[in-house]
Amino acid sequence: MAASAADVRSILSIPNPPASNSGSGAQQAKKPPATERAKKPEGIPRELYALIGPSAPTLAAQFAKPRLKQKPNLGGGGRVKWEWRPFKNGARSDGLRLSHWVKASVDPESDYPFAKYNIQPPHYVYSQDEYNRLLEDPKWTKEETDYLFELVRQYDARFYVVHDRYEFPSPEGSSRTLEDLKDRYFSVCRKLVRNRPWPGDEASKAALLSSLAFDKDREVMRKQYVISLETRTPEQIAEEDALYLELEKLKENERRFKKERDELLRTLLGIESGLPDIPVEEDGLQGLSTDTKKKKKGVAGSVEPQTPITPSASASNAMPPPQPKKTAKSAAYDALHCIHRYSDAQTSSSSKAPHSPVHLRSTKIPQLKQATAQRIAQVLNEVGVVHNRLVMPTRDNIARLEAVIHDAGIVVEKKKTLDKLDQDIATMKARLAALRGEATEEDAGSVPQTPMEVEEGPDESVVDGRAQSVLSTKSARGRKQTRRSMSISSVDTSAGPNKRQKR
Amino acid sequence: MVNYGGDEVAALVVDIGSSSLRAGYAGDDTPKAIVPTAFGFIEEHVSSNGDVAMGEEGAPPPEGEQPQAVKPKVKLFIGQNGPSLWRSGMEVGNPMHDGLVQNYDSVPPLINHAFNEMMRVNPAEHPVLVTEAPWNTPANRERMAEIMFEEFQVPAFYIANTGVLNAFAAGKGSALVIDVGQSTASVTPVVDGFVLRKGLAHCALPQLVHAHAKHLLTTPAGNRPAIDLTPHQLIASKMPVDVNAPPKFQLREDRIAGTTATWRAWAEAREVDEWIQSVARVLPQGWNEQAAVMQGPRHYEFPNGFNGVFTGVEYCAVGEQYFTHSPQLVASNPNLPKTIPALIASSIQACDPDLRQVLMGNVVVTGGGSAFPGFVDRLTAELHRNFPVVKVHAPGNPTERRYGGWLGGSILASLGTFHQLWISREEWQEHGKAIVGQRCK
Repeated sequence: MAASAADVRSILSIPNPPASNSGSGAQQAKKPPATERAKKPEGIPRELYALIGPSAPTLAAQFAKPRLKQKPNLGGGGRVKWEWRPFKNGARSDGLRLSHWVKASVDPESDYPFAKYNIQPPHYVYSQDEYNRLLEDPKWTKEETDYLFELVRQYDARFYVVHDRYEFPSPEGSSRTLEDLKDRYFSVCRKLVRNRPWPGDEASKAALLSSLAFDKDREVMRKQYVISLETRTPEQIAEEDALYLELEKLKENERRFKKERDELLRTLLGIESGLPDIPVEEDGLQGLSTDTKKKKKGVAGSVEPQTPITPSASASNAMPPPQPKKTAKSAAYDALHCIHRYSDAQTSSSSKAPHSPVHLRSTKIPQLKQATAQRIAQVLNEVGVVHNRLVMPTRDNIARLEAVIHDAGIVVEKKKTLDKLDQDIATMKARLAALRGEATEEDAGSVPQTPMEVEEGPDESVVDGRAQSVLSTKSARGRKQTRRSMSISSVDTSAGPNKRQKR
Repeated sequence: MVNYGGDEVAALVVDIGSSSLRAGYAGDDTPKAIVPTAFGFIEEHVSSNGDVAMGEEGAPPPEGEQPQAVKPKVKLFIGQNGPSLWRSGMEVGNPMHDGLVQNYDSVPPLINHAFNEMMRVNPAEHPVLVTEAPWNTPANRERMAEIMFEEFQVPAFYIANTGVLNAFAAGKGSALVIDVGQSTASVTPVVDGFVLRKGLAHCALPQLVHAHAKHLLTTPAGNRPAIDLTPHQLIASKMPVDVNAPPKFQLREDRIAGTTATWRAWAEAREVDEWIQSVARVLPQGWNEQAAVMQGPRHYEFPNGFNGVFTGVEYCAVGEQYFTHSPQLVASNPNLPKTIPALIASSIQACDPDLRQVLMGNVVVTGGGSAFPGFVDRLTAELHRNFPVVKVHAPGNPTERRYGGWLGGSILASLGTFHQLWISREEWQEHGKAIVGQRCK
């Protein structure tokens, strides 16, 4: 399609030239649309507008470009002009002008932003007079002191570097140590600060002086320690570690022993022991029992204020938590459907969770505690109980097994205490004998170092152990003052004396 | 801008090493121009005005060239096409020795090649930072400043220590820098950006490793004959042969007469280096013959067509030279360079006891020689055996490892707070050479 000159003109929106032949009526007639075309609405193609003219305004809206939501202006639209500009660095003493890129908006006369980091640390200067009056030191000449101060200034008081670069020809041929340099520098500074008029207050002067403090002997000793620490052989390091572990173990034993003794005293004497009460364990049952205890105290307090407070365990035994009432109907229903309902106390003591999901009973077989598992297993073996495999893990059986294991644990515990006390007694006897000066062979022979054996039935030894422990704790209280020193020697109960010897 | 402390003034950084010269813009992470330091030259006995021609194009010498009328005209061949192209009668030289510039005559053409030919930059418009080895002499650094100010007309100049720059490249102010280059291995304690000169230890250990490898290749062993290291430039044709069979190849007889001894030595050294780089390694857990055998044999073909198989014991023994010397070697050679662990021990021993912990916690491994396979693992194992607390920083990126000194210079010269340290032209003219020692501590 050939484009006419008028088309070209209208595309470029150039107004029609004045007609060369003004007489032509057709040219005149075309003029008004040309002016209209100048106001062509946005979005209508030129050809179409030429066809339909300005008479179709309703269509204009449809041909207009769809207007999307306005783009947010995030402030990044404005162009920033940067300039390659020479600058003057205020930290330089010469007139070097380097160039860098800066925003054109930055004031060309402003200071170089990095010049402010050029901070000179305080530097002490002294006059000849001051040196003669205050700073004389037989080990240092003025020249060497000057040299030291110059180096310290040069390297901004980095003494490691100062010491490295220190090359003053010393008269006696011995080189200065780092401590020598520090000591001289700081002592001179301290003397200068002390003897010069101080413009500020005393506190700031004291602070400055303390910042200049340097104890040479201590530093030398510290450095020697560091060196000796570094030159340890691997064997020495291993030995040190072993000793540290040993010490920790001893401390732990001491703590445990103290705790046990306090507990024992509390059990025996109650409130008269003067010891603080046992901290209440966070257990549902315990919390319940203390509540009831308080209630009971509130009622009975006026009647019997002097009674010693019974230990919380016995209180909980005396006051069992109230059982949920069973109606006759529900009982019948339960019996019919073989439903067992357990009391709250039982569930809360076994687990804190209010609801226990469905589980196999066999997963509830009690496991032995790691610490005493071996001993308990030994005891159970001797009794003839296979504790790790229940043929029929019913509720009753598990409860029974639990009780057996618990008892076995008590047996082992008591045996341990007994052994310890036996040994204590034997030791005391031996000491007593030694004090009397008749160290007989029989006493020494009565303490054979045989490993612990458990041969008796559990019931027997429980009774036996209980009696023994009460007896011996009483005697232990009598020798309280000697116990502390023995606590370390009686740690190892596994090698205690045989029980039969005692009996 | 102030947040990271950078302010770029389009400084140039030049790092000259034994194997290559690195040049680039401060603030970049890679040097723009890497030029081999070795260059070829042909002496022409023509009495002329003593111009030093640059490369084959015969670029004009930099202005301010000192008159060398007494010397014969020397044509230099620098860069990628320098010594590696065979030319009749061309000798090969290297201005560096022991990590220091020994011959300053060829340094301006080398730097000029990097600036004008490769970077196409006018050094008169840019401040220039040059690196130096930590054991550089004052006379040497003053000469470098003179070259920069008088021959390249730089507006400002600074010379910084590679030890410090390597520590900066690792982002540390205090570090124990272990730099293993092509000719020199060094251990440099850096504290607060200053080298502790008393703790500095360096030796020519990499050259010993190179000599060991060359000895291994050129002595017959087992079923393998002595290997001929003829470079490919001198070989006209070759035939494929079996493993360990004698090579069948034709020499370029026309070139034999024009080959100089220095070029031959340079080319053979390059063959040995390539063999080391592709075959040799070091065992990560100390010498153990069993472990070395377990590494398995490695195959390598030389330019003359000979291809050999090297056992683990052979090629692991090469890297082992970095860490231990055999007793018979020690007995036969009293001036043996120290091993890397011995260098570290002597360096640490010379430092203050308080600093030892700090330094061993900031060990920086750098230099192209440390890219030896297994080197960093072995070094870490050795250090852990002798020191309770060790932290080794070894960049995995080969550019950062090989050009750590340049990278540190690039960081330093683009810091805003550094620009007060430049030695300006004005100061140079006012104070003379003394300013270099005062400013660059």
